[in-house]
Amino acid sequence: MRKALSPAARKEQHWAWLMVAPTIIGLLVLNYYPLIQTFILSFSKTKTFGASTFNGINNYIEMFQSPEFWKATWNTILFCILTVPVGIILALLVAILLNAKVKFKSGFRAIYFLPMVCAPAAIAMVWRWMFNGEYGIINTVLGTKISWLTDSKTAIVACAIVAIWSSIGYDAVLLLSGLQNISKSYYEAARIDGASRVKQFFSITLPMISPTLFVTLIMRLMSSLKVYDLIYMMIDQSNPVLPDVQSLMYLFYREAFVAGNKGYASAIVIWTIFLIGIVTVIQFIGQKKWVNYDV
Amino acid sequence: MKTGTMSRSRGVATGLTYFFLIVGSLLMIFPFVWMILTSLKSLAESVQVPPTIFPAKIVWSNFGEALTSLPFVNLYANTIIMVLVRVICAIVFSSMAGYAFAKLNFKGKNVLFGLVLVQMMMPSQIFVIPQYQMLAKVGLTESIFALIFPGLVSAFGTFFLRQAYMGIPNEIGEAARLDGCNQWQTFTKVMLPLTGNSVAALTIFTAVFAYADLMWPLVVNTDINLMTLSSGLATLKGQFMTNYPVLMAGSLFAMIPMLILYLIFQRQFIEGIALTGGK
Amino acid sequence: MKHLKRTAVFLMAAAMALTVTACGNSGSGGGSSDGKLTMQIWDTAQRDAMQSLADAYHEENPDVTIEVQVTSWDEYWTKLEAAAGSGNLPDIFWMHTNQILLYADNDMLADVTDLYDDDTYSHYSDISIANTMGSDGRMYGVPKDKDTICLVYNKEMFDQAGVSYPDETWTWDDLTEASQKIYDATGKYGYMAYCDEQLGYWNFVYQNGGYILNDDKTAAGFDQQATIDAMKFYIGLQQNDWCPDQTYFAETAPGDAFFSGQGAMYMEGDWTLMDKMKNYPEMQGKWDVAVLPKCPSPASGDGRATISNGLCYATSAKNQDNETVMNFLKWLGSEEAQKLQSSYGTAISAYEGCEDEWVAAFDQFDYKLNVQACIDEFDYAVQSVNDATRPVWKSKVNDEMLKIYGGQVSVDEGLKNCNDIINQAIAEG
Repeated sequence: MRKALSPAARKEQHWAWLMVAPTIIGLLVLNYYPLIQTFILSFSKTKTFGASTFNGINNYIEMFQSPEFWKATWNTILFCILTVPVGIILALLVAILLNAKVKFKSGFRAIYFLPMVCAPAAIAMVWRWMFNGEYGIINTVLGTKISWLTDSKTAIVACAIVAIWSSIGYDAVLLLSGLQNISKSYYEAARIDGASRVKQFFSITLPMISPTLFVTLIMRLMSSLKVYDLIYMMIDQSNPVLPDVQSLMYLFYREAFVAGNKGYASAIVIWTIFLIGIVTVIQFIGQKKWVNYDV
Repeated sequence: MKTGTMSRSRGVATGLTYFFLIVGSLLMIFPFVWMILTSLKSLAESVQVPPTIFPAKIVWSNFGEALTSLPFVNLYANTIIMVLVRVICAIVFSSMAGYAFAKLNFKGKNVLFGLVLVQMMMPSQIFVIPQYQMLAKVGLTESIFALIFPGLVSAFGTFFLRQAYMGIPNEIGEAARLDGCNQWQTFTKVMLPLTGNSVAALTIFTAVFAYADLMWPLVVNTDINLMTLSSGLATLKGQFMTNYPVLMAGSLFAMIPMLILYLIFQRQFIEGIALTGGK
Repeated sequence: MKHLKRTAVFLMAAAMALTVTACGNSGSGGGSSDGKLTMQIWDTAQRDAMQSLADAYHEENPDVTIEVQVTSWDEYWTKLEAAAGSGNLPDIFWMHTNQILLYADNDMLADVTDLYDDDTYSHYSDISIANTMGSDGRMYGVPKDKDTICLVYNKEMFDQAGVSYPDETWTWDDLTEASQKIYDATGKYGYMAYCDEQLGYWNFVYQNGGYILNDDKTAAGFDQQATIDAMKFYIGLQQNDWCPDQTYFAETAPGDAFFSGQGAMYMEGDWTLMDKMKNYPEMQGKWDVAVLPKCPSPASGDGRATISNGLCYATSAKNQDNETVMNFLKWLGSEEAQKLQSSYGTAISAYEGCEDEWVAAFDQFDYKLNVQACIDEFDYAVQSVNDATRPVWKSKVNDEMLKIYGGQVSVDEGLKNCNDIINQAIAEG
C-alpha cells in the first residue's frame, strides 16, 4: 500500500519536479542520450558515417587483449597519482597562506589564480616551449639536458607539472572558500590553550575544511581520470613517446576520430566511466573515516 | 619573556609565509614572463642555444602575424557571450535543482540525483558527435547558440549548489514557510541569497570550464569568426607549427584583455567568497 | 534580491535574442539554393586564392555568393565526418586523396564524371583525374591542384662548407656527403630526415623502385626488398650526427628548424613555398629549392620519383541535381578559375598549362627562387598512395614507424608489422 501524500506534501513534490525539470531534461537530452548511444556502439562494429552492426562483446575482448589499452589505463592512473595529491596539498598551502594576514594579499591572489584565465591552448604552448629539450629555458635554468617531452620517463611528469600548475588556483579558490567558513573563535580558543600553529592546523583547520577538501579531491580525481586536452596539446601524435603518455581519453580520441573506429573507442569510454565510478565509490566509502560533517 | 618568543615565532612564521608566497608567485608567473619575452624574439633567436633571456632585438612583427591570422575581436565577443550565457544557465537551473534536491521531498529524488552524479563521471568527449548531430538536425550548427548548447545545464553546478543548500539549516526554510512564504518565495527570497558565496564560486568554475572548452567549438563551428579564443588559438598552432614567437604573441593577444577583465573582477569574485563566507 | 531577479530576466532575454540571431545565420546546411554557398578548406595559406575565386564567380554570377571557411587540418576531418554522418556537408569542400575513397565509396559525394559537355577533363593529367576517383572509377571531385615534393636548402651553409648546391645530378650519396661536410664545417644539421610519408620515406621507396601498395591496391609493399632497402636507408639517416633524431622533430618542425638556421636541408611541398617566402622575409635569398636527389642504384627504374598528390573540389551527393552548386563546381574546373588559383603561387592548379602562372607569382620577390624545379618534377611524379582503407591504416602505420624510430622494434620487425597492418585493413575492407 502506498502512503497517500498530504496536500502540502503533494504541492511540495510538484514544486520540486518543476525545479529539477530543466536540469534533468537537459541532462537526458545532452548527456544521457549520447551515453546510451555510446553504450550501444561499444557492442557494435562501426563503419564510418554512422553505419554499424552488432558485434557482441568483441570490442571488449579486443580491448582487454590490447597492451596499448592497458598501458593507457596505467598512464591515466599514474597521471592521477602524480597530480592529485601534490596538486591538492599545494593548493591547500596556497589557500592557507592567502588566508593569513599578509600585505599585497590581492596581488598575490591575482598571481596564483592567473592560470585560470588562460586558454589551456596558450598554457600548453608556453610550457611546451619551456620544456623543449633543445631550446627550452627549463634545461638552461636547471643546467640539465633532459628531453622532457620526448623521453618516455619524463614526458608524463612534465604533463603532470603543467596540470598541477594550472589547477592550483582553481583548487585554492575552492579551499579558500572553505577556510573562510571557519570561525575565528576556534583559533582564538586554541591560542589561549597554547596550541602550536601546527597543532591548530591538524586539530582545527584540517577537520573543519575536510568537507571542502573532499569535494576538491573528488573533482580533481574525476578530471584527472578524464584527462585529454592537456596531454593532447603537450604531446603531438608524431611524438614517439605517445604510447607512454597517452591517457584513456586520448586513446579514445585517436580511435574514434583519427582511426574512425567508433565501436572500439566506445568500449574505451565505458571502461573509463567504470573506472571513475569505482574510484568515486571508494572515495565516498573512505570519506567516512576522515571527512568531518558535524560542524 | 614569554611574549618575546611568541612574537619572534610569529615573526618567523610571517617571514616564512612571505617567503613561500613570493617563491610560489615567481613560479606561477614565470611562464607568462617567458611568453612575453619569447613573443618579442625572432624565430632564429628563439631557438638559439643557449637561450637568451632578453631579446637581442625586439621584434614586433610576431604580433602583426598573429593578429592577421586570427579575428581576435570576434573571438573575444564569442567567448564572452558563450561564457556569460553558460554561467547564467548554470546558476539559474542549478540553483533551482540544487535547492530541490537538498530541501524538498519528492518521488524519484534519489534516482534523479543519481543521474546528476553519474553525469559528472562521463568524459565530455563522448558528447561531441551526438550533440553535433542534434544541432545539425535543426540547422543550428555554425552559430553562437551552438557554442552555448552543451552548457545549458550543469550537473556539476547542481551537485555543488545542493551541497551549499545542505549546509543551510532546515529551520530557516521552515521559519519562512511559517511566515507565509510559498515554496517559490522561500527559495528565491530566503534560501537563494544565503548561497551567495557558492554561487560566486560556481560562476568562476563554470566560466573556467566554458573558457577552456577546446574541442566542441572546433567541431560545431567551422567559421573562424564563430570560434572561441581557446579553439582559435588551437588553429593558430596548426598554422605556425613550432614557430613559438608567433604562437606566444597569439597567446598574449588571447590573454591580455581576459587578464584585465579578471583583475577588475577578481575582487568581486574572491572577496565575495570572503565576505559571505564568514557565517 | 530584486536586483538579481531583474538581472536574470534581462540575461534570459539576451540569451533568447541570441538564439534568434543564431537561427538567422544557420544557412550553411547542405543544399542551399538561395544563392549562398559555403566552401570549406583547411589551408589558411590558400584562403586568399579561394576568396579570389569566390569573388570572381560572384562577379560573373551576382546572385551567387560564396563564403570561404578555413578549419585546421585535424579538425577539418573530424568536422567533415560528423557533417557527413548527419547529412550536413558544406556546399563545396576540398577533398584529399587520403579520404576520397572513403567518402566516395560510402556514397557521400556527388558524381561529377559527366559534369562537362566539352573536353575540359582532357586538360587534366591522368594522375589528377585518378586522384578524384572512387573505387568504381567514377570521378567524385573536380581536380583542384597537383603538387610535387622538392628539396629545400640553405645556400649560406653550403657556401660555408664549400659544397656545390643540389641539382638534378644529385643522388642519395651526394645528399649524405653534403650533409656530413656541412655538419663538419658549420656544426649545423645537414639533411633533416623525419618520420613522414608524403614528405619523407614514400619518395625514397618509389625512387628505389619499391612500392607501398601494389597497383591494384590488394596488398602492401613493405615486404618488397626494394621497399625495405629504401626504408632502411631513410630511417638510418637519423643515425648520423648530422641528422636530428625523431625526438627532436617531435618538438621542432623541420621547416621551423630550417628557417631558424638550424639545418641545411629538408623536403617540402611546393604549395608552402610562397608562404615561406612571405613569412621569412629576412631569409629571402639565403635559401633555394631543387629537385629531389635520385636513387643511385635503384632496384628498378631510373631512380627518380616524387610523390604527387592533388586535391579536388567536391560536393555532397545530395547536391547532384543542385544547379547552383554544380555550376560553381563546373566553373572551378575551368581554365579561367584554375589560372586564377595558380597566380597566387600557393597551389599549382591541376589544369595543364597553369604552371607558368604559378612560377610567375614568385616574380614579386627580389630573389628568384628556382621554383621551376617543382614543375620539372612532374615528369616522373608518382601518384600519392591511397586506397579505401587508408584512413584505417594511416595512423596505425605511423605509430609503428614511430616505434621503429624509437627503437622499440627492429626495422625488419616494424616494417613487417606495417605490412600486416595494411593487409589486414584491406582484408577487412
